[in-house]
Amino acid sequence: MATSSGGGATPLKPPAQPPKSIPELTPTSQNQKLQPLELSPNPITPPNLTSAPPIPTADSKQPTTPATVNSRPREPDFDVIHVPSYSRWFSWNDIHECEVRILPEFFDGKSPSKTPKVYKYYRNAIVKRFRDSIIENPPSKENPMPKITFTEARKSIIGDVGSVRKVFDFLEAWGLVNYFGSPLTKAQLKWEDKESKNVSAASQQNSDNGGANSVGDASVPKKKFCSSCNSLCTIACFSNIKKDTTFCARCYVRAGVNSADFKRVEISEEVKTDWTEKETLHLLEAVMHYGDDWKKVSEHVVGRSEKECVDRFIKLPFGEQFTGPPDSIEPEENVHKAMDRFDIESNPSKKMRLTPFDDASNPILAQAAFLSTLAGVEVAETAASAAVKALTEVNIETSKEILESSAGDARDHDSVTTNGKSNTNLLEGAYLEAKLQLEKEEQDLERTISDIAEVQAKNIHDKIVRFEELELQMEREWQQLRQMQNLLFADQLTLLFHKKDGNESMEQKVKTELS
Amino acid sequence: MKPHPAWSSLRNPVKFRIPTADNLVPIRLDIDIDGQRFRDTFTWNPSDPDSDVILFAKRTVKDLKLPPAFVTQIAQSIQSQLTEFRSFEGQDMYTGEKIVPIKLDLRVNHTLIKDQFLWDLNNFESDPEEFARIFCEDLGVEDPEVGPAIAFAIREQLCEIAIQSVASAKETRINKKGRRGAEHLPLSKPGGSALDTLKLFGNKSSVIRKRREWDLYEPIVDMLSNEEVDALEAREA
Repeated sequence: MATSSGGGATPLKPPAQPPKSIPELTPTSQNQKLQPLELSPNPITPPNLTSAPPIPTADSKQPTTPATVNSRPREPDFDVIHVPSYSRWFSWNDIHECEVRILPEFFDGKSPSKTPKVYKYYRNAIVKRFRDSIIENPPSKENPMPKITFTEARKSIIGDVGSVRKVFDFLEAWGLVNYFGSPLTKAQLKWEDKESKNVSAASQQNSDNGGANSVGDASVPKKKFCSSCNSLCTIACFSNIKKDTTFCARCYVRAGVNSADFKRVEISEEVKTDWTEKETLHLLEAVMHYGDDWKKVSEHVVGRSEKECVDRFIKLPFGEQFTGPPDSIEPEENVHKAMDRFDIESNPSKKMRLTPFDDASNPILAQAAFLSTLAGVEVAETAASAAVKALTEVNIETSKEILESSAGDARDHDSVTTNGKSNTNLLEGAYLEAKLQLEKEEQDLERTISDIAEVQAKNIHDKIVRFEELELQMEREWQQLRQMQNLLFADQLTLLFHKKDGNESMEQKVKTELS
Repeated sequence: MKPHPAWSSLRNPVKFRIPTADNLVPIRLDIDIDGQRFRDTFTWNPSDPDSDVILFAKRTVKDLKLPPAFVTQIAQSIQSQLTEFRSFEGQDMYTGEKIVPIKLDLRVNHTLIKDQFLWDLNNFESDPEEFARIFCEDLGVEDPEVGPAIAFAIREQLCEIAIQSVASAKETRINKKGRRGAEHLPLSKPGGSALDTLKLFGNKSSVIRKRREWDLYEPIVDMLSNEEVDALEAREA
């Protein structure tokens, strides 16, 4: 089933004649299958998605334009459902990534009632309702565009109306509901056709005013609403005087505008505001510096608005190259890659685009540019990739050597950092920096550990000193004690002597008294 | 994580919300301007920004080609119902052993639906939309507008019951402040249906419904003819 949407383009891109037979075969079975299943999504092949078949007109060439449906004269085919080619991704069973992008609330899991399953149910129910209503009242002369209103749709859908409205608006903006292939009524008069289509597109877009989500993606064609932007028209030099419609410059990229009309628009834009080489160079520089920040880019490019910068940028043949990280590209690699892309584009304006690099002050670059244009496309490509490889390898080696040689010396670190940065290889620089950080950390650790050890040692030392003092005191006291002992001993002796003397004298006295 | 249902009985308050998987508010519109009547029912997500209300009103008026005076009226009506819902939102409600009977009695275009069934209020994962969808599938209802109408009716009733339980929670709190031991009386009111179920699912009776009650709980789907529809509408208006 999923194949039918992607492959839906191919079987329906036959050479001119057969398409009429193919659509008529399948709808008969379709009609029977659609009716009994009202609300559940139809798992069987969906009704035909006729995307833009190869038209003799030139709109299919431009990659950025939404090539709308055929402008071929066609009989009113009641059983064919028209879907604009920029909605080709639609399939019953799958959810495409742009749906996820535009209606993120269903996919971020924040609300239990808004899940992908619920989203799919809403979407399929609305589309089915629209297609059923087409089958019931096919577009006729009185009612060339039988649309389904939001209220009708939401009445039949079980769910909360806010979400249903958002899904409905999204589907309407992308032409999956309420979209009718362009020349249902008149096919011969081209201008009038485009008028009616423009009017219908405008009315659709105006009705989408409330609900249309803004998408910053300039490369994805979308039907955005275009308010009457009279002021902008003059600046962006979009003049649609013939139509009497007020479309702003945005729409020429996005709106469902027919091929010839579109061509006119582009020419007029180019004529009025030609991008000079200098401006293109500024633009490239700015994009390299600022990447995706279009505000700064537009400031850098004097006199161009953001949108113009973006438009110009995507039109440049190597535009996509610069959406990657601008820092990591060396100037040489830059030139090589850019030159490759130049060679691939067999544009007559190639010379004009070479000039930004020819103007570069570095003559070597200019030489390299010239040489690579001389060599063939593949040669230049392979040479460039080989050069890049070699360069990175050399970078890695040199940085490794430098790292090994440095052993935590500050100066070495500086040299490493300077070396690392001069190589302008982001990865290497980061690697070196990481190593540096590691070493620093280690040093810090060591230092702190030694500090701690010192403190502990000091502690112990102080304790020892105190103990020594205590011991000294103890000794002194011991000495004192001993002295006192000695004194005591001496006293005792004298006492004894005195006693003895006393005794002897007493004895003598007694003896004399007796005799 | 949620308290066991037996435990979250009459004492345990839970924050107010509609007891369904998604917290959607049923909105009923019945506006009459200059004799033009606009009646509608749908569900709204209260976490949607309020700017959506105006957008929705404008869109509806444009789709149905109503006079523009309806826009403000519709928006106001939606807003007032939303704020009412939100005023209940912070408060507690008691959800006891609550299995409540839900009655469906609605007429959508040509289809008449009558049904009665029991719904568990404690089941916060319940999904009226799913129920409605399966209902329509099983009974072969072709009109796609019936499904949302059923879901809405269920939601509305659940909402009413939830609001009632909030009110009863307030009462019990006041009573608690006043006198103790009075908890039983107020709680028995909202728990009225719960008591029934206790009786039903008590020890003596079985879980299977009694035969005479089968008719009560059988869904009836009737297709009306045009005249009957007109007659009913005339009676309603």
